[in-house]
Amino acid sequence: MKDPYEILGVAKTASADDIRKAYRRLAKKWHPDLNPGNKSAEERFKELSAANELLSDADKRKRFDSGEIDASGAEKPRQQYYKDYAREGAGGHPYDNAGGFADFAEGDDVLAELFRRHARQARRVRGQDLHYRLSVEFLDAVNGATRRLSLPEGGVLDVTIPSGIQEGQVLRLRGKGAPSPGEGEAGDALVEISINPHKFFRREGHDIHLELPVTLSEAVLGARIKVPTPAGPVMVAVPKGSNTGSMLRLKGKGASKPGGRGDELVTLKVMLPLEADTELDAFLSKWSPGQGYDPRRGMQP
Amino acid sequence: MIISKLDFLFRAELDQETLDLWVEEEWLVPAGPATDPAFSEADLARAQLIRDLMHDLGVNQEGVGVILSLLDQVHGLRRAMTGLRQALRENTAEGADPGST
Repeated sequence: MKDPYEILGVAKTASADDIRKAYRRLAKKWHPDLNPGNKSAEERFKELSAANELLSDADKRKRFDSGEIDASGAEKPRQQYYKDYAREGAGGHPYDNAGGFADFAEGDDVLAELFRRHARQARRVRGQDLHYRLSVEFLDAVNGATRRLSLPEGGVLDVTIPSGIQEGQVLRLRGKGAPSPGEGEAGDALVEISINPHKFFRREGHDIHLELPVTLSEAVLGARIKVPTPAGPVMVAVPKGSNTGSMLRLKGKGASKPGGRGDELVTLKVMLPLEADTELDAFLSKWSPGQGYDPRRGMQP
Repeated sequence: MIISKLDFLFRAELDQETLDLWVEEEWLVPAGPATDPAFSEADLARAQLIRDLMHDLGVNQEGVGVILSLLDQVHGLRRAMTGLRQALRENTAEGADPGST
């Protein structure tokens, strides 16, 4: 290998700054990507990088100057250069730019036709995907709906919300994105769904949770009561002796999922009368729960 | 081959912020949605070029955009030229050899 000082064109006494400047000046001239058609540039640049690698490191430079190491082995293996990829196949390359010859394509001779063909290939790039957010009502997300999205750049997009859609799910609307800068196909619109909370339904996966207030007598004696579900109210039997926290499972009343629907899980909450009830007071003053019943037994220290 | 964003950051030795800036400047144009970009080996080589320009050659941010745009045009021209050369060669092969008559 040649003398690294010679390669960079600096004296042996050159300062670190001189070396940096010399390398910069030569690298600008010989960087292979700035010389896409010049095969010798790659070789020159490899030499330059190796010389710089050696001399820009004060320690390595000292060891080289004292003869401890030689100039070989300083070459770093380098991944391929961009030019090697830019050369690949015509058309479809995302960075294609026909700006360098668009004017040549305007004539009506054979060459113009050839340039036109290449400009067309460069223009066949697909349009960009556009991203939107759409917040939907809780019940629309469970039952499915069609909602209209007003686009910030004008126009509207009708979005069909499939039933059972989940928070954060992204709907891809083919061809509804940005048009191609040329003649390629349009990009897609990607709509991210956020679901507004509901007044009393809560969703966990495909199941719907509901806290349902019941009266004392409905809980103690059992009753048939109307329970709201996302698909409308249904009649449900509350078993005799239910309690706050008792859970009823309404099969198939949840959000749709692959191969069926989730369940609605109803948690009962016993509510005492809002106003003082003398009859109840009178009854309870004579009544006591079974011998030894202590609801706080588990909390004894 | 498709490279995920995480892989790309690692292989190109970039931090997230820098990559976001480069994509915003359209120096890099990954395929796929912005939430899940897909990079190629070409993008990786292009990132290396941008790093060379900024770190080794002392080009500033404005300069990088200008250089990339001109380089893309150079490559567009080179491809057009390749096509042209090929077409001329085919034409010559099809027609009679102009030198023989």
